[in-house]
Amino acid sequence: MKFIDPHHDQWHRVVGEDGPKPDPDPAPRLLLTLEQWHAVRDHWPAELPTAVEVPNDHAIEDLAADLPRLALVVLQFPKWVDGRAYSQARLLRTRYRYAGEIRASGEVLVDMVLLLARCGFDAAQLRADQDLDAARRALSFFPGHYQGDTAHAKPHFAEAR
Amino acid sequence: MYAYTDFDRQFVHARAAQFRDQLERNIAGTLTDDEFRPLRLQNGWYVQRHAPMLRVAVPYGVLSSKQLRRLAEIARRWDRGYGHFTTRQNLQYNWIPLKDAADVMDALADVDMHGIQTSGNCIRNITADGLAGVAADEIVDPRPYAEVLRQWSTLHPEFAFLPRKFKIAISGAAEDRAAIAWHDIGLQLVKNEAGEVGFKVLVGGGMGRTPIIGQVINEFLPWNQILVYIEAIVRVYNRYGRRDNMYKARIKILVKAEGQAFFDAVNAEFAHILADDAGGHEHIIPRSELERVAASFVVPAGVAALPALDIFEGAQGGYKRWLERNVHAHKLGGYRGVTLSLKRIGIPPGDATDAQMEAAAELAERFSHGELRVTHDQNLLLPWVRESELPALHAAAKANGFATPNIGLLSDMIACPGGDFCALANARSIPVAAAITERFQDLDELYDIGDIDLHISGCINSCGHHHSGHIGILGVDKDGSEWYQITLGGSDGSTLSGAAVPGKVIGPSFAADEVPDVIDAIVQTYRRERAAAERFIDTVRRIGIEPFKAPANAQRTLTAAAR
Repeated sequence: MKFIDPHHDQWHRVVGEDGPKPDPDPAPRLLLTLEQWHAVRDHWPAELPTAVEVPNDHAIEDLAADLPRLALVVLQFPKWVDGRAYSQARLLRTRYRYAGEIRASGEVLVDMVLLLARCGFDAAQLRADQDLDAARRALSFFPGHYQGDTAHAKPHFAEAR
Repeated sequence: MYAYTDFDRQFVHARAAQFRDQLERNIAGTLTDDEFRPLRLQNGWYVQRHAPMLRVAVPYGVLSSKQLRRLAEIARRWDRGYGHFTTRQNLQYNWIPLKDAADVMDALADVDMHGIQTSGNCIRNITADGLAGVAADEIVDPRPYAEVLRQWSTLHPEFAFLPRKFKIAISGAAEDRAAIAWHDIGLQLVKNEAGEVGFKVLVGGGMGRTPIIGQVINEFLPWNQILVYIEAIVRVYNRYGRRDNMYKARIKILVKAEGQAFFDAVNAEFAHILADDAGGHEHIIPRSELERVAASFVVPAGVAALPALDIFEGAQGGYKRWLERNVHAHKLGGYRGVTLSLKRIGIPPGDATDAQMEAAAELAERFSHGELRVTHDQNLLLPWVRESELPALHAAAKANGFATPNIGLLSDMIACPGGDFCALANARSIPVAAAITERFQDLDELYDIGDIDLHISGCINSCGHHHSGHIGILGVDKDGSEWYQITLGGSDGSTLSGAAVPGKVIGPSFAADEVPDVIDAIVQTYRRERAAAERFIDTVRRIGIEPFKAPANAQRTLTAAAR
C-alpha cells in the first residue's frame, strides 16, 4: 500500500478559478474529473499517462472501456463510513481486470487501510492528521482472512490443508 | 457445536488485538471518539444510557457450557453480575467500563467468542431456530450453512460500511421459528424433487419505522452458490442503498422502491460474478468444506435414538404443565429439547444472573452434553435431553428458577431492555413487562389464554419485535413522557401465527399505568369471543381488531382525561 503525500504527488488536477477546467489541454500525469475526461477522451493522446477521479455513486461499469488508457483511477470516500468505493474498487479489479493504480481519496483513515488493500486499492491518500505508522500497523493484524479478496482470490477454505 | 481450528482461534485473538490497539489510541487521544465509534460498534461496544453495553455474538444461538461459564465470569468480574439474552440470540452486558473492553474481548477469545459485527453497518449475527439440528420437523440442519456464512461474512472487506445494518436469518425446518421473513435476507433450506438441497431466498424484510415482509427473490438456489448469491445482494445494496437518510437506509427500502429492477440487478450481478470475475467461482462452497464444518454438528457422543417413552404417564400438576409447555419434540426418538424459561416475575425477560448462568451451564453438562441454545424469544434451551431424565431435569431446573411452565404463553413475552438501559429508547419496557407478568401470574389463567405472542419494544427500532407480536407494545415519546402504542394481529411467520405481517394499531397511545388494564381487556375480549379451540391469534384473524378497540379504550383513565 502506497501512502500518497499530497505535497509530492506526481498527478495534477487541472483547476481554474471556477473549478475544474472544462477542456484541459493534453499533458502527462493529469488527474481529470469524469466531466473533463468525457470532454477530452475522443482526442486525448493514447501515450499520455492519465488519471480519472470517479465519484463514489458513479456506475464504474461506464469506465470499463477506457480503463486500458488510464494509469490511475482515484476513488472517493466523501465520508469514511460511506463504503461505496470498496465495491467500485473490487469491480475494477475482479470484473474489469484493471491493472493500473487505484487510489483512495477523501476521508481516508488508518482503520480503513486493511479493507482498502483487500478491495484492490494499492494507494491511499490519508487524511492529514492520520498517523502513518498506525496505518502500516493496521495492515498486519491478521494472519489470514476467511473470504477471498482482490489480493488473494482463494478463501481460507480453499487453501491446501 | 463448531470446533474452532487454529486459524479460527488466531483470527479471534487477532481481532481482539486490533481492538485493543484502537481502544488504546482512543484513550491516548489519537483516535477521536467519533472515529472510534464505528470501530467499537463492529466489536459489539455501544455507549449507552448508563455505561457501555457489550453485545457478545452467540452464532446462530449455539453455546457450550464452557462458554456460558466464561460469560458468567465476565458478568461477575467486570459487570454487575448479570447479562441479557436478546432477540437475535446474542448476550448483552450493561455495565462493563470501556477501559476494560480489550481485556473482556481477550477473555471471550479464550473461549472462542467475540463481539464481531454484532453492531455497525455490516452483516450481523446470522440467527437460526433454537432447535436447529434437533427439531422433529427438520428438513436440513441449518447450522453448518450458518457457520459457513458466518465465516464468509466475518470482516468481509467490501461490506464493512454498508448504508445500514444487515441481518440474516436461516431456517431448516418445516416450521419457521427464526422469523426469516422479517430479515434483510431470510433463508429457508429446502429440498427439490430430486432431493437436492437448496435455499429459498427472501430479501427486504425488516421492522422499525416501516415494517415490511421479505419477498422471495429466488425459489431454489443450489446450496453451494449461497455465498455468491448473498455477495450479489449485498453488493447491490452497498452500491444503491440510500445513504442520505438513516431511516430510509435499510435494504427493504431499496427493494420496495426498485421492485423488479432490484431483483434483476441482483440476478445480473450474480451472473456476472460467476461468468466474468477473476476468482468468481472461488466462493462456490466445496462439498469438502461443508462436510468439514458439518462434522462439528453431529449428534454428541453417546447420543442415539432410544425407545420413546410416554413422558406424560403419571405426570401431574406443575410437572405436567412443564412437559406440556417447556419440553419439545425431537428428531431423535427418546430425546427432547427443553426450554429453560428466563421469563419470571421480578426479573426482566431474558435476563440471567451470573449464578443462573453457572446453573444453566451445569444443567447443560448434566443433561444436554454440555450444549445450550439461546432462543429467538430470549430463553435458553437444552437440545439433547433424554426423556428418561426429564423428571430429574425438572427438579433441578425448578430449583434454579428455570422451570416456569410458560413457554409460548402470555408471560413468555419478548421485551427489549428499553429505556432503563438503552439510550435509543423512547420508553421503558421492563416495568411494562413486569406489570403484565404480575397481572397474569395465575397459571390456570395463563393456560386458559393459551398460545399468544406478546412483544414489547421501547422504541421504533423494534429490538423487541413488537411488529410481529399477536399483541405488540411500542414505547413512544409524546411531549417528553412515556406512552405506549398497542398493536394486534402481528405474525412472525410461524404456522400458529400465519403469514408474516405487522400488527395494526388499535388506537392512540396509552399511559404506562393503563397498559396492564388494556392487555387484560384485550385478553378478556378474546376469551369472550373465541370459538372452540381458537387461539388468540385465530380469533383476531376471524373477528378483526375492531371488537378489541372499545374494551381497550374503556381502560383509559389518564389518557381519557388528558384528551
